[in-house]
Amino acid sequence: MTCEEIGELLPDYFEGSLKAPQDDLVERHIEECADCREEVAIWKKLSLLPVEQPSAGSRERFEAMLDAYQTGRNDKASAGFVPEKRRSAWNWLRSPAGAVAWSAALLVMGIFAGNYWGSRTTHSNAGQDEIAAMQIELTNMKQLVVLSMLQQQSAGERLQAVSYSRREDQLDPQVMSALVHTLRYDGSVDVRLAALDALSRHGAQPQVHKGVVDALQEQQSPLVQVALIDLMVEWRDPDAAQRLRNFVQTPNLNPTVRQRADWALSKLN
Amino acid sequence: MKEQERRAETENDQAMKLSPDEDLMLEVRNGAGETLGVLFDRYHAPLYNFYSKLTGDRTLSDDLVQEVFLRILKYRQSYQPGTPFRAWIYQIARNARVDHYRKTPRHITFEPHMVAPVMPKDSAQQLEETELLHRALMQMPEEKREILVLSRFQELRYEEIARLLGCELGTVKTRIHRAVQELRQNFKQLERGLAPREAAPAVVKTIPPRRFGNDM
Ligand SMILES: [Zn+2]
Repeated sequence: MTCEEIGELLPDYFEGSLKAPQDDLVERHIEECADCREEVAIWKKLSLLPVEQPSAGSRERFEAMLDAYQTGRNDKASAGFVPEKRRSAWNWLRSPAGAVAWSAALLVMGIFAGNYWGSRTTHSNAGQDEIAAMQIELTNMKQLVVLSMLQQQSAGERLQAVSYSRREDQLDPQVMSALVHTLRYDGSVDVRLAALDALSRHGAQPQVHKGVVDALQEQQSPLVQVALIDLMVEWRDPDAAQRLRNFVQTPNLNPTVRQRADWALSKLN
Repeated sequence: MKEQERRAETENDQAMKLSPDEDLMLEVRNGAGETLGVLFDRYHAPLYNFYSKLTGDRTLSDDLVQEVFLRILKYRQSYQPGTPFRAWIYQIARNARVDHYRKTPRHITFEPHMVAPVMPKDSAQQLEETELLHRALMQMPEEKREILVLSRFQELRYEEIARLLGCELGTVKTRIHRAVQELRQNFKQLERGLAPREAAPAVVKTIPPRRFGNDM
């Protein structure tokens, strides 16, 4: 048999589904033909490639997404009745961050319902609108995940949340507020730094701009202070000089931070 | 909670863990979103591998896996009873990837640390082979690589792949054969170019630039 004919049988041979006479034909051929033998060998070698593991936070992220989705649905169906299991999510929803997430969830539901009814009536030209609506919905849902994970106990998860927020080109105002809140009040320096980094891309938003600049006065960590000073220089913030002059008056300021602030002032003047 | 109810719940959980994917998906479709967790446990690692072998990008792979489950929630009403779940979820997975590339221009990434983690039983030679093989695979155009990934790593049957790609069974086999041939050529070239690795410009050119940790 020619290599071409054997080649047609090879995929079934790989899969082990080749029956008796043909199976023997292939085996006899590859004993003699180096090319076809190598092909079989490379197929077998593929099993050497390792199975890769998803990142550790994968399950938590999924659960945050599911929770955000479920809460939106359940609550619409049964306002007032809160099952035991959902109590913690419910408490979260009553917090300020929860409340904004909640309104986003309602928005999602609205889009979903609109989409559903829309597709029943206007079949023909709904395609584009549906895709657009779906994009909005998916983006909102991802941002809900960020919001929900920013509330987590573990700094690692909050760090993840910040990193997820970086993957969206545009952030909901609520997510931006939550990130500013994180920058100001999060207990972990790493999380605060990550939040600042994420916010640095959204300096054009007045809300972000103000939140970042305001954060300088209340930061205790020298690392975050230095990062904030650098960002203010980068943004060429109009009030930066005045704010820094006030800032260097702070008693017991870390010498490195003071040096950085002086350097920034020289840059800005 | 009463003991009886608790036992009933545990039995229910166990039954759920043994249920076919299709039954679970019907529950999700009927509103039991939490059942999706069982399907997540079954599919998130295979899907992650599908994406990471296809794109070579871990962060993107994580994101796309989440996207798939988000879409399942979104599209749950469109799941038809009798549809094999595996085919359905891979269809969603492929679409999610296509949509991603539509939104974000494609750039191939190659993460050196993705290549074969060192395992104690690996001989030096086997490690080398694994790395070469991985490179040879990543050099293929993504469309051709996909059929290998689906058949070899996702262990989809050829019939399933044919349905997924919307082509004939015979076409799938032909394409697998061609892809293996190409992989073998790439592999041999890499092996030959091994002595001074830079001495094989055609190969070096096709290895995408390294990307440094940009996650945080
Ligand atoms: Zn041959």
